[in-house]
Amino acid sequence: MVHLKDVSVEFNNGVRALSDVSISVYKGDFAFIVGSTGSGKSTLLRLIYRDMLPSSGTVIVDGDSVTTLKLSMVPYLRRKLGVVYQDFKLLPQKNVWENLAFALRVIGTKPKEVHRRIGEVLELVGLTHRCDSFPNQLSGGEQQRAAIARALINYPTVLIADEPTGNLDPTTSWDIIQLLEQINVRGTTILCATHDSQVVDRMKKRVIQLEAGKVVRDENKGTYQYCES
Amino acid sequence: MNLRNIEFLIEEAFTGIVRNGLMAFASISTIALSLGVLGAFVLAALGANNFAAAQVGQFRVAVFTDVGLGRQDAERIADEIRKMEGVGEVALRDRDKEWVDWKRDHPGVGSAGLPGNVLPYALDVKAANPERLPALAAKIRTMDGVHKVRGWEDFDRVITIVRAVRAVSIVGAIILLVTTAFIISNAIRLTLYARRREIRIMQLVGATNETIRIPLVLEGMAFGAAGALVATVLLRLGGTYITYSAQNVIPMFGQFSSGLTTGSLALGMIVAGMVIGAIGSLVSIRRFLRD
Repeated sequence: MVHLKDVSVEFNNGVRALSDVSISVYKGDFAFIVGSTGSGKSTLLRLIYRDMLPSSGTVIVDGDSVTTLKLSMVPYLRRKLGVVYQDFKLLPQKNVWENLAFALRVIGTKPKEVHRRIGEVLELVGLTHRCDSFPNQLSGGEQQRAAIARALINYPTVLIADEPTGNLDPTTSWDIIQLLEQINVRGTTILCATHDSQVVDRMKKRVIQLEAGKVVRDENKGTYQYCES
Repeated sequence: MNLRNIEFLIEEAFTGIVRNGLMAFASISTIALSLGVLGAFVLAALGANNFAAAQVGQFRVAVFTDVGLGRQDAERIADEIRKMEGVGEVALRDRDKEWVDWKRDHPGVGSAGLPGNVLPYALDVKAANPERLPALAAKIRTMDGVHKVRGWEDFDRVITIVRAVRAVSIVGAIILLVTTAFIISNAIRLTLYARRREIRIMQLVGATNETIRIPLVLEGMAFGAAGALVATVLLRLGGTYITYSAQNVIPMFGQFSSGLTTGSLALGMIVAGMVIGAIGSLVSIRRFLRD
């Protein structure tokens, strides 16, 4: 589903964000990407949704090479992916319903289908009652639910979450992670970068650990900290 | 792009205007003021040019025949002049009336023992293109039976002034147009800058550049049209007031008119506003769409 092979990213100022990273995430996987600040977690995710290009190596998503993708095809790649951000990135001038509708209407979805899908995902994330609210009228947890609903609206094969619980309290964080697991159970591949050790430890999912841009651990049913047993 | 998409893009443009009311107001005000200044200059320049052209259009030369030539000779000369290239009007003056006028203006001369009407025949000649009048005068001067051609001596000076007015108008209008385009483009850029986060999110959810660009260009055009409409109203009201006030001080100001109807002024302003708005948006969006 998502394959990174010998990927390195070096910024213009000489800082190396990733060094020879090779990982594969398969259909239906739920993987946490952990590591300290600046270890390269967000850079790795940005490569997948083509927000940046690697200095070397290849990134393949759903069979397509992201590294050689034409600029005009990037929007079509992003429609196959759902992305959830720490700061939610909801359109501030649109209410929840309109935020979701926008993601569908930009790809020319019929109005009837727009209504059907929005109803479906709002129910899934438990936000049906807040569909008329604007982002600034929602709590952090509700905003993240709205962002997850938007990420799911196009039935993505992969859902990428970059610190989705970074701005949330522990209870709300756990609710969000459970929601992601529920989505994963339905067959969507989840790739989640996080700092939240409690969440990672409780979930016992695959853990990919990055340190200084290198993969130092890739463990199934792992915990936040590596523990030899 | 199908009809559903077009409907969506137009809807997006209007939602954008309504929900970004303050920025829309700022943009429309800036556009109205800039276009107002440009429009005022263009109207004043058109008025000055029309006034100058009217003065030049009244220029004619007086052709005096040799003393002793009869009416038939004068009419023959008039016919020959009419056949010349670039001649507009030729009129033979009433020699008897001129003699009466002359005697009235010079009462002491009547007793000098003149044998009767001693004035030569005179013709008034206008050129089809006033700017060709000096050349025509020079040609007429060489004709048999023509004694003197007068009335074109100051023409070069007048034409120089007219050309200067025209040149200043054109250069001024170009400079103001560029400045206006720059100001409007900056106003729109500020509007877009305030929405850069929105543009970024649109990109991240998979909107193509066209889907992002079209509503913003439509918004720019709507701002341009609205600003132009406000500017037109201000210009018409301001123009009427200034002309009325100035006419009381300088009566000649009454002849000062751009010649534009309110409809054509509004149309010109709206088209200019929309074009500048669209170009301003297109140029400004480019930097936000670099991926």
